[in-house]
Amino acid sequence: MTSELQLIDAAKAGSADAFSDLVRGYRERLLRFLVTRCASVADAEDALQETLINAYRYLDSYDPRWRFSTWLYRIAIRNAGKLHVADVRFVDEADLRDEENDPLLQCIAAAEKENLWVAARRLLNDDVFAAMWLRYAEDMSVNDISRALDRSVSWTKVNLMRGRRALDAELNGAAEQSEAYG
Amino acid sequence: MDKLANRLRRDAERINVTVSDELDHRIEASLRAAAPAEQRPQAPRARPPLFWWASTLTGIAAALAVIAIVNFQNQRDEPVPPAVPVAELQPPIVLRMEAAMLTAPLEEELENLQSDLKKAEEKVRRDIGL
Repeated sequence: MTSELQLIDAAKAGSADAFSDLVRGYRERLLRFLVTRCASVADAEDALQETLINAYRYLDSYDPRWRFSTWLYRIAIRNAGKLHVADVRFVDEADLRDEENDPLLQCIAAAEKENLWVAARRLLNDDVFAAMWLRYAEDMSVNDISRALDRSVSWTKVNLMRGRRALDAELNGAAEQSEAYG
Repeated sequence: MDKLANRLRRDAERINVTVSDELDHRIEASLRAAAPAEQRPQAPRARPPLFWWASTLTGIAAALAVIAIVNFQNQRDEPVPPAVPVAELQPPIVLRMEAAMLTAPLEEELENLQSDLKKAEEKVRRDIGL
């Protein structure tokens, strides 16, 4: 079995097949993250494609001291940011949060509409949301998150705590509400 | 793991996304079309302090050698011209006219003063009856 580092070396030498094998396991994870950040599923797919092409083109700049997923997420966050800027310019802000057009809601089953990530996106800003995602959906360390977001470790720690507090309040508030109505 | 972390992980897994065949083909095609960017020149590695000392000494030695060679060649190739006294090269300066021009009014003044003094002396002699 070929290790990740061997695949990276082969891809650096110009093997697109090796790169495809390398990122196969990351594609859905990245797409899931991008769906929470982009204005439509099509945009998220474009962002995924762009992320992978950029990663392949600039693989030479990858530092093996980092986790490969950290590096990929860093590129994905930048790409999503670019798309987000374009979306805000060309798409009505109301449409972005319209349930019919919202890619995140489209990817959640009707019975799962209380998905906490929907609330997270509403309550947290983009960077804090990304930090929370990398921590709890991707199980990344604080150091890796700060690298992926290009933020300091202390910023990451503080904002993870703030994000947790906001979501805890949301979760507890929802529980209290359902108890009151129940 | 706490309740919130569990909930967030579970909810993330419940976001259903799939990389469709169409997207898969698109990605594969674009990867084949893209070529890795040209390798950037590697940053130079940090040199040990001994390297800097060695290169400094080499530089100084080379500079000294160049100076010595240049001086030696100058001494050998170029015959030293005989020393010419600088004073001889200078045109003689005519001071007489200028001195006369400068001192003429003073000399005239001196003569005037002397004649005044003589007149005063004669007047005093007359007054006292000498």
